[in-house]
Order: sequence, then structure tokens, then C-alpha cells
Amino acid sequence: MKAVISKLSGMLKSGKISSSELAEKYIDAVKRDNAKYNAYVNETFDEARKSAKEADARLARGEGGPLCGMPYALKDNICTDGIETTCCSNILRGFRPYYSATVHEKLSACGAVLLGKTNMDEFAMGSTSETSCYGAPLNPRDSSRVTGGSSGGSAAAVAANLAPFALGSDTGGSIRQPACFCGVVGFKPTYGAVSRYGLIAYASSLDQIGPLASSVSDAAIVYDAIKGKDPKDMSSEEVSLSATSLSGDVKGLKIGMVKEYFDCLNPEMAARIEEVARLYEKAGAKIVSLGMPTLSRALPAYYIIACAEASSNLGRYDGIRYGVRCKNYSDADELMTRTRSEGFGKEVQKRIMLGTYVLSAGYYDAYYKKACAVRARVREEFDAVFGACDVLFAPVSPTSAFELGYAQRNVIETYQSDLYTVPVNIAGLPSISVPCGKDKKGLPIGMQIIGDRFADEKVLSAAYFLEQNEAFCEDDEEGGVAL
Amino acid sequence: MTKEDIKSLARLARLQFDDDEAERFISEMDEIIAFADAVNLEVEGDTSTVKLEGEALPYEKLRADETQPSFPNEKILSGVEGEDGYFTVKRIIK
Repeated sequence: MKAVISKLSGMLKSGKISSSELAEKYIDAVKRDNAKYNAYVNETFDEARKSAKEADARLARGEGGPLCGMPYALKDNICTDGIETTCCSNILRGFRPYYSATVHEKLSACGAVLLGKTNMDEFAMGSTSETSCYGAPLNPRDSSRVTGGSSGGSAAAVAANLAPFALGSDTGGSIRQPACFCGVVGFKPTYGAVSRYGLIAYASSLDQIGPLASSVSDAAIVYDAIKGKDPKDMSSEEVSLSATSLSGDVKGLKIGMVKEYFDCLNPEMAARIEEVARLYEKAGAKIVSLGMPTLSRALPAYYIIACAEASSNLGRYDGIRYGVRCKNYSDADELMTRTRSEGFGKEVQKRIMLGTYVLSAGYYDAYYKKACAVRARVREEFDAVFGACDVLFAPVSPTSAFELGYAQRNVIETYQSDLYTVPVNIAGLPSISVPCGKDKKGLPIGMQIIGDRFADEKVLSAAYFLEQNEAFCEDDEEGGVAL
Repeated sequence: MTKEDIKSLARLARLQFDDDEAERFISEMDEIIAFADAVNLEVEGDTSTVKLEGEALPYEKLRADETQPSFPNEKILSGVEGEDGYFTVKRIIK
């Protein structure tokens, strides 16, 4: 894995390249290659040139940290003041937020340079990014396949070297799974470690912003810049991390392997993760076998909770306050109903309907309340597991990247493919998806390293060890900006 | 699920489906609900005492209730139908 940010940051600091020159390189690459991948849905090149100029002034004064002058991309559900933010939904076409998400403010304050907004599943609901109103992004490793989702555009932008890093959001795996499909690193921090202010809500008790990058060290630098308490997000917390302190020392690290994560996993992936575990063992880590009987219930519980929260969160799209409004209506009900029916895509409507169903009288106890109980139980089981180990190894997805169109034909199977990623969201844990090789089809496969709540640094450090091992880090050169 | 179930749910969610769509939706919803039903399987022990998320909200972490500047009206109303600091809709109360 290549440490793109540290390399570029070194070049910027030494004056080998200016931020403006670097921005132009990425702008040229996006202009040339984005049509191939559909990673960006809205380019902000004028703003990028302006920010790059400001960064150059700071760099000339010897100021600025590792992200000063660094180009990046934001998932289109992260609000940017004055810049169209649509969640890749027709209902928000033309919506220009009047404030910026805290993560955008923080990155701007670091001197990072926004290149544009990236493609995603509509309102982050999906595992392939194909529900985007702008059409699906394509996987830079194999353009007949999906990028994964919902942060598919962010993963594609990083994989195709069209951004040194990007931010995504992860409600049930939406950072980790596309990172895995596209062969990049995706980090979902602990719930509360990064402010969600300005992230357009899907399921507020599960949503989390995090970085997608080319390497673990890059992801750590970005995480360091965006983490921490924000008075505008009650669930956020102060967290400690020094991105530079990633040692990659795994001596004495206790790695848990939970049986239920591997029960039905295809042998090729299981073997690869076993191989990685042996590598850690050789370096002094200890492998512990553990069990989590309720783990398989996390998936239905996740869909119930996520859809319930979505049906409430998406109630705000009434045709009055944001985005589009239907043309003809005779009363308030018709205004809302027509706007929502015309504006929301089918997958979003389906999830709103399911959420409405599980919250409705007569079904609340059987579904929503039960799902919350399962959630509490899964948390207890994770607590027990982290009493016995430091981090867990787990798969990211049962398969490598699907072919385009597959998910639409196999709805439930696609929902089920989230089974390895959703438990982390249910319990609010940090987890990183790191590439660990390729399957027989030559497609990237990845694995998760999961930690206890607020053990983000431990997770990053454990993943950093893997990055130091060449055998697991074949780099792909796929165009974009040559580094 | 029946077509009537779909339509009454849709009413609650302020969505609308014509007959054909509702028909198609029945099988999809049935399939997804069957999948969600798995949440009811094999959860051992008593779950009636498990704390619900809503009850565990950290209210003590709320910020102090102090007046702060809000967004200017004209910014909020830019891009949507509005005038004189208000959102506007057609007359909807008769």
C-alpha cells in the first residue's frame, strides 16, 4: 500500500510541487478519467483552485500540517456550504446547503483542497452505489463490476488515483465494503469519534463518517484531522490519537477470531485471513478463538433499526424546505406525497415503507423493540469478546465485487451480504477494512480489523503492521495522477 | 400483505403507489419482512428488561441552553420557494 498523503505532503513542504500545481494535476486527471468511472458527481474545481492558492500561501510561510494543500473528495451526503449536495437523490437536486459539515470545516481549516462530491447510493441506502440518481460508479479494478456502496464514488476516486483521499459514511458497512471491493483502505471510526454534524442522516444511531485512502497511515492522518468533540453533535466525544505514533508493533497483541464470522465464509477468503493471522502470530501476536451466538441476528436487527430511523429522518423531505417540489398540488398532503413519490427512488421508498411498518402499531413490539433487544445483546457479546482480546479479524464481504445489475436481481442476497459489516455499527465499534490480496478472478479482497469502542488507535496500529508486509500489499496502477 | 396494507402504509409515509406498483410491492415487502422476521429467532433469555436505545440517551451531555445566532433567513430560503422570511406554499387551507 502506498502512503500517498505522506509522500505528497513531503513534496508540498519541500516545495517540489505547489498545492496549485498538485490541484491542477488532479483536476486534469478527473477531467480525463471521471467519465470512465463516474466517481465524482459534482466537481468543485474553481473552489479547489482558490483553496490551493490559500494553502500555497500558508506553505510558503512554513505553516500547515500534513493535509495543507492536499486535494480530497467528499461523499455527496456531506454538506458543503453553497455547494450542491444531493445524496445522489432527485429529491435534493439543486440543494445548496447553507452550512458545512464539521468534517468539511475541519479539513478546510487544515488547508485541504476539495475537488468535488462523490457518487453514492441514494441516501446511502445500498451496497453497490447503483441506486444513485446519477447512475452507478464503476470499479476501477474491473469496470464491469460495481464499486460497492454506499460510498462507492469515494472508493473509486481513491482507487483510480483521482483523489489522495476521500470521506465516506458508514451506516452498515458503507465505507468498509466499497473500500474492500475497490482494493483501498476504509476506516469506520467509533460511533461518536467523528462529528456527524452536516452529514445528511440515514440512521442516526448507526451513521459514522470516516476516511477512504490508499494506506492505513493515510487513513490515520485523515482520521486525526476530523476526529473529536463537536458541540454541534451531542454524540461526539473527545478522543486521543497521534497519527504519527502508529508503531505497527503487534507483539503481545491478542487477536480474536470469532467462529460465527467464519462459519459460512468461502474457503478462499477464510484461507487468506488465516494466512494474515499466521503472519501476525509470527510477529508475536496471540490468536484467540471466540464465539458470539447472537451475531447472525445483527443483520435483521440492523435492517429494522436502520429503516425505522430512516422513515423518521426522511420525513423532513416535504417539498417545502429543501430541494425539489412537485409541480401541481391542491393541498398539503398532495404536495408532500407527490414530491416524495416523484423525488425518492424505489430503494429509498422501500426502506421508508419497511421502517413505517416496523414502527406501526401492532408491529413495534415484534420488530423494532425486538431489534433493539438484539442490538443490546450483540453489544454485550462484543463486550465479552473484547474482555478476551484486543482486536478481531473478520471478513468484509462474502464475495468480491458483484457484476453490475446483480444486486437489483438479488435483493435479499445483497442485503445478506452486509452480514459481516453491520455488527460493528450495531455496537458502535471502530473497524478498518484493509486489502489482503486478490481472489481467483483477480478482484481485490479485504478483511476487517475490529476494535472495542474508542480503541481506534489500536485498530489503526494493528492494521499498520499489515501495511508493512509487502506480500499483502500489491499496488495497482490504474491511471489518474501518477505518483 | 395485501394491496390495502401497502396503501395504508404508503399513506402514513406520504408516498403513493398505483395499483400495479402496489401489486409488485407486495411480494418485495413480503420477502423483506420474512427476512426481518429472523430477528425473532433464537434470542435466548428474557429480553423484556433490555434497555431500549431511547432510554439510554445521554441527556446529561446536552449543551447549555443558551441563545446562539441562527442561520440568516435569506440563506435558508435561497433555492426554495419563500418570501418575507417565510416558506411559501399555495393556499392549502380552505
